[in-house]
Amino acid sequence: MLNKEIKEKLRAIVGTEHVLDANLDRFGYSYDSSFVPLLPANKPDVVVRPRTTAEVAAVMALANEHSIPVTPRGAASGRTGGSIPLAGGISLALDRMTSIVEFDEKNMMVTVEAGVRTIDLYNFGAERGLFYPPDPASWKFSTIGGNIAENAGGMRAVKYGVTTNYVMGLEVVLADGTVIHTGGKAIKNVTGYDLTSLFTGSEGTLGVITKAILRLIPMPKLRNTLQLMFPSLDDACNTIHKMLQSGVIPAAAELMDKTCIQAVARHRKMDIDPAIEACVVIEIDADDTEALAKQSKQIEEIAKSFYVVEVRIAASPQEAEDIWAIRRGLSSAVGAMAPNRLGEDISVPRDAFPEIVRRIRGISEKYRLPIAVYGHAGDGNIHPSVLCDLSNEEEAARVHQAVDEIFAAALAVGGTLSGEHGIGITKRDYIVSALGEGGVRTLKAIKQALDPKGILNPGKIWN
Amino acid sequence: MKSTGKRDRLQDVHDIVSQCDRCGTCLPVCPLFGVKDVEAASARGKNNIARALAQGGLDATPDVLAAVNFCLLCRACVDTCPSKVKTDEAMMAVRQYFADATGGAGIKYKALGSVLKNRTMVKLASGALKVMKRVGINRLAPYGMAPSEFTREEYLARFAGPAALGAAAPASPATLSDNTKVAYFYGCGMKMMFPEAAKQTVAILSTLTEPKLVDNVCCGLPHLAHGQKEDFLALAKENIRLYAEADVVVSECASCSSMLKHTAQYLAGDPEWADRANAFSRKVMGFTEYLVKAGYKPRQKVDATITFHEPCHLGRGQGIKKQPRELLQAASNYVEMPGADTCCGGAGTFHMDYPEIAGVVLDKKRQNIEKTGAAIVVTECPVCLVQMAKAAEKSGKFRAMHISQVL
Ligand SMILES: Cc1cc2nc3c(=O)[nH]c(=O)nc-3n(C[C@H](O)[C@H](O)[C@H](O)COP(=O)(O)OP(=O)(O)OC[C@H]3O[C@@H](n4cnc5c(N)ncnc54)[C@H](O)[C@@H]3O)c2cc1C
Ligand code: SF4
Ligand code: SF4
Repeated sequence: MLNKEIKEKLRAIVGTEHVLDANLDRFGYSYDSSFVPLLPANKPDVVVRPRTTAEVAAVMALANEHSIPVTPRGAASGRTGGSIPLAGGISLALDRMTSIVEFDEKNMMVTVEAGVRTIDLYNFGAERGLFYPPDPASWKFSTIGGNIAENAGGMRAVKYGVTTNYVMGLEVVLADGTVIHTGGKAIKNVTGYDLTSLFTGSEGTLGVITKAILRLIPMPKLRNTLQLMFPSLDDACNTIHKMLQSGVIPAAAELMDKTCIQAVARHRKMDIDPAIEACVVIEIDADDTEALAKQSKQIEEIAKSFYVVEVRIAASPQEAEDIWAIRRGLSSAVGAMAPNRLGEDISVPRDAFPEIVRRIRGISEKYRLPIAVYGHAGDGNIHPSVLCDLSNEEEAARVHQAVDEIFAAALAVGGTLSGEHGIGITKRDYIVSALGEGGVRTLKAIKQALDPKGILNPGKIWN
Repeated sequence: MKSTGKRDRLQDVHDIVSQCDRCGTCLPVCPLFGVKDVEAASARGKNNIARALAQGGLDATPDVLAAVNFCLLCRACVDTCPSKVKTDEAMMAVRQYFADATGGAGIKYKALGSVLKNRTMVKLASGALKVMKRVGINRLAPYGMAPSEFTREEYLARFAGPAALGAAAPASPATLSDNTKVAYFYGCGMKMMFPEAAKQTVAILSTLTEPKLVDNVCCGLPHLAHGQKEDFLALAKENIRLYAEADVVVSECASCSSMLKHTAQYLAGDPEWADRANAFSRKVMGFTEYLVKAGYKPRQKVDATITFHEPCHLGRGQGIKKQPRELLQAASNYVEMPGADTCCGGAGTFHMDYPEIAGVVLDKKRQNIEKTGAAIVVTECPVCLVQMAKAAEKSGKFRAMHISQVL
């Protein structure tokens, strides 16, 4: 519990209105979008909502002086418990820092505050013919600060990369309140350690990101969408590999297995041939119609050489929208199949995609649990969803074993625990098996150097 | 929503809100979160407060009730939610739980509920809201603000200038069969505040059919929304009885038609009433929904720029979006406003409970109306119309009317 005096100081820093300590308000900042149980609630002692870097710095200096835990929070759309204030203390909500500070047209860069929502940044660029590609499915409500702290990816990663590929520099408030600036607008920059990359993906454990310089690229002029149906998963994966090898790089390539396809069919009351084992939705983009048509043609030919049974090339924006609606509706369609769904996020080398899906099938049979698999096939990032009823204790135990085995399988094929959602609370038990003792010791050494009192987001990434 | 006991109420709540996986998709769409951006004000926040209440993690304290009352029941969140979590129903169920636990709804809701429950009182209140004033609840009632009505006559006099496209359109070729017995549902809000507009509704209906006028009772929405479920059920049954003979029931109040269409779901567990309620709900139609189905052609096209505020209970409540716009296009120079389907902040009694917040919500609406340059904003619900009238008064740039006055 924070004493009155500290709360008074916090109010003096950010303004009375922006310090919340009523029970319901504290409860509201106790959860995120992960499956960490709602109760018992991990309530912060107080929610602090700063507006400026100076305010963040003053809050951190105060917290450091009194060893008060601080958990940064964007929109709490994180899937691994990152913004949950496990140790109480301060929930530092950055969602009021929503200014786009500078637009540098010549260098095609913007400087934004941490609380800017991804969609607002995207729209800001789009209005100027520029493109901010990272597109986590949560882009309409997640914040840039949260995206950077989780190094969020999205469907466009296969062609355009993930958040880190667009972060040129950061303004960070360290645990003791020091404000530092990393990186900058120079494309080539090897002055000292690459701190920008260090803070990107640090899940709020090393510093509070207050501003970011982000790179934009010219907006592709045209887009189109294709839907491919395959009788086997291997054929679907092979099509994608062949495309990438031949230099046909899709802007997005989303793969769904049969469980997903049938879930969507049921949800949208459609009939889909049960012989279809895999569906791939592809987005392509280009600057002119010929280039676009050429890509569709090439993809169609490659798919045919792998026995594709149906190729649908959207003939209108409406049709493209219809195809994407299937992919977007997937999460709820799958969710509707069982009382609970444990969605995971693993990442494997691209060529291991069919192998990992086969292994997941095996796990599904072994534990008698349906597991729907979909993912960003172009980059090897997979979201297996275990469909279950956690209120049944016997089943819950099987679920946890199945999830353990999924992680083990990912590591066995040369993959990792998390493609884009981070480690947070939900995956910290597995971190040693992923990084080894030496790896985790290195993380801890970095943490110790930057946050000696351990006040920033305690309890995350490792136990 | 079949159960009635107190514990079961919480089970009802839990059944709904446990489907929320806290994804956050609803955050940007809730108009209240847009004004007060703290988690507890959002749909995600309220659903999880409700869930913690149902699971024993929060006690039934007044701040929890205040949190669930802080909801417009506008369903913008439900619409966008990937899991279709019915936040509005969950909020109503928690309010009912509190009412049961504390021996009834709050005093002002009770006073309001009993006025609306009573036919005579509603009639007496007509136009002047005399009774409301006498019992001293005029400021508390949702319709407590008697708006200045802009009549159809004034409208035509002002806009039927040289550019108007001739006189009244020829009689509409109705497509519903001649034998269809169409009955009118006269909602309390229309009766008490906009009797002039209601007359126009009946006049329009009369060009298509011989509408049967029924001495109906309140649809019960205000009761259901504020923890007076027993009263709601009694009113619902009375209306079902009264309209047994009709084939189609039409109301120009979107809140009423939506409530009546949803009535069946609240009687589904009652063996004596389930079938009748089902049959009843299926014959209810919104005003413009009926007009388009019946092939109605507006009586005139006027050279007025009109924009439309889409009531939550019409668009999201009943999926009626195209019909009013189609009719308005035929009757005027129609312009769509940005965010036409965003709640105006009226929402039953919300604007009395949280006047400042409702004021900010309405201000955003007013600015959107002004952006269109429209001279008239029309809508299809008396509660929204009160809000539109307030916005019109503040703006001075446009007038507010019910849609039946311009078709
Ligand atoms: C429906 C849905 C779909 C999703 N899809 C994707 C997807 O496709 N790809 C993907 O990568 N993720 C996805 N996510 C996960 C999540 O949206 C992302 O991790 C997102 O980046 C989190 O942003 P946020 O603002 O909500 O951060 P929060 O959840 O609030 O915080 C996430 C972490 O970042 C830290 N943090 C937040 N802001 C700061 C800051 N300014 N400085 C330092 N640390 C900070 C927090 O402490 C926490 O550890 C999805 C989530 C949902 C609910
Ligand atoms: S019903 Fe409307 S006001 Fe209520 S939580 Fe949903 S969006 Fe917000
Ligand atoms: S969109 Fe639905 S599931 Fe997501 S937080 Fe809102 S209510 Fe919950």
